[in-house]
Amino acid sequence: MSKAAPLMLSSFPRAIVHVDGDAFFTSVEQAIHPHLRGKPVVTGKERGIIACASYEAKARGIRRGVSLWDARRLCPELIVLPSDYETYSIFSSRMFEIMRRYTPEVEEYSIDEGFADLTGMRQVFRKGYREIAADMQAAICRELELTVSIGLSLTKSLAKIGSDFRKPNGITAVPGNKLHQFLPNIPLSNVWGLGPNRVQLLKKYGVMTAWDYVCRDPKWITKLLHKPGLEIWNELRGTALLPINTAPWRPVASISKTKTFTAPSSDCHFIYAKLMRNLESACIKLRRHGLRAWEISVSLRLKDYTESGLTARLDRGVTLPQEVAHVVRELFDQLHAAGAEYRATGVILARLEDDRSRQYELFDDHARTQQARRLGEIIQIINGYYGKHRIFLGTGLYLNRARKNDRDEPCWRKNTLLKGETRRKRLKIPLRNIKI
Amino acid sequence: MPRQIDLKKKLDQLRAFHRSERRAPSYSEMAELFGYSSKAAVYAPVRKLIDLGYLKRSAGGRIAFTQKATGKIAILGTVQAGFQSPAEEELLDTISLDEFLVRRPESTFLLTVSGDSMIDAGIHPGDLVLVEKNGAPKNQDIIIAQVDGEWTMKYFFRDKSGVYLDPANPAYSRIRPRGSMVVGGIVRAVIRKYQ
Repeated sequence: MSKAAPLMLSSFPRAIVHVDGDAFFTSVEQAIHPHLRGKPVVTGKERGIIACASYEAKARGIRRGVSLWDARRLCPELIVLPSDYETYSIFSSRMFEIMRRYTPEVEEYSIDEGFADLTGMRQVFRKGYREIAADMQAAICRELELTVSIGLSLTKSLAKIGSDFRKPNGITAVPGNKLHQFLPNIPLSNVWGLGPNRVQLLKKYGVMTAWDYVCRDPKWITKLLHKPGLEIWNELRGTALLPINTAPWRPVASISKTKTFTAPSSDCHFIYAKLMRNLESACIKLRRHGLRAWEISVSLRLKDYTESGLTARLDRGVTLPQEVAHVVRELFDQLHAAGAEYRATGVILARLEDDRSRQYELFDDHARTQQARRLGEIIQIINGYYGKHRIFLGTGLYLNRARKNDRDEPCWRKNTLLKGETRRKRLKIPLRNIKI
Repeated sequence: MPRQIDLKKKLDQLRAFHRSERRAPSYSEMAELFGYSSKAAVYAPVRKLIDLGYLKRSAGGRIAFTQKATGKIAILGTVQAGFQSPAEEELLDTISLDEFLVRRPESTFLLTVSGDSMIDAGIHPGDLVLVEKNGAPKNQDIIIAQVDGEWTMKYFFRDKSGVYLDPANPAYSRIRPRGSMVVGGIVRAVIRKYQ
């Protein structure tokens, strides 16, 4: 097949858009605080590592993952904010809500990106797909005051490449009959699903671009990269294999809660308390999704970032922290080295299954299990009313032993409470920091 | 002059605390509640309220509410089970305060008012305004706008010579934007919460 030959003659047999927030966290901060517009802003103060950098900060060479110390050296006037995930989540769900005005088929892929299937909507809006996508982009920009980049093409994989092609505030439409002109410009590392290892492997065979990839024999691709490789091959050629998943997101494999301390600590009671708090948070999430877990992993991260972990299988599916507290204690005692300084703890609940159907083990202490569940339900009701972690495991009393430092500074919204709001519960409407 | 203690206000504050927390506050919480900087100051109003029978001292020396303060809980009696009650059916067509105040949840924001330029329109410093970002303002709408770089809240008007903004306070004057004007949204509701 020569480079000039198109892969297909039609333009949009399917129309999938990928909407990707531009520097989403800092853009939300700039929307809430208009005086931060045009200034280098980063979030992630509480972790000491940059979670998101505004375009003004990126222009100074500051990237996600850089330490705050390095970033401040690159840019002394850098504005460093603690993350406000609550507000980011409100903006995220609003972005998806606006997308749903244009089609009911919207997939909430992550906090700052989503897919939508526009196929067939041309008749409703009496305009082309590109124009509908542009309307969507303009509505998000007008109502949320932040920009997104959009890719429009035949499959999710192609749309995702498109949204990355022009950033920020770009639209890239790639119809089927233009694929042969677009794909030669796309390096393999920009293809969804091809990680650094696969990219290096393909390079050995002279496959450099997405076009090289789709020109290869599918049998050869399958032999080298198996079924996932073939799936990518089809998606890049415009054959949609990945469905738009409109169901609300639900964890399928595992639930993990890892929290970095604001300052490393060698106080074993404090480290254990942090671990148990993660267990409680993970269990809250587990119950919110109506799941139970058959496996638990515990991890500790040392000051030098080396991490150690242990996993335990459980003899029944659990939903409550009290049910696994003794297991966590045992794993912790095996992992923890006395006197060592730690910076993070984590809990992963895995082997999840639906908790609606309940099977009792033959040797279960039925009465005690029932009692524990009832207690769990009551704690959940109380915490639902007064806010998360109002009733907590006694180990949590050690949480206050850590030294406070400037990284503990709560985000603006948590410091700007309206009458009737608490540190735990606030209105679900963003508060804008504008003096009127 | 001796310090005047507004017991009625104190009692209201204590009742509000009880409503949200379902328990009596500690001395330090009372100090915070009444706006006192020391716990000792709380002692006087508490003693008065005990004398009046609104509070009592429980076994451990902690303060507890009496029924006089919290009110009695009414028991409705037996409720018939089985068919859906007609009351429930009637309530299907009611809206929540959320829906009443917020027409477009995905494009509504909150702002705290600090200035007094709309005071004659009933918008006071400290009030919250619900601002909708969707749609174009019409004459007499109250809008949030950025005029020549400065944010303001005013009445919006359009006439033959263009757009102008009017305050609701004689101390301020009409604004005709000379440079740029960006509409930040239309005020759809004002909220003033007293406690």
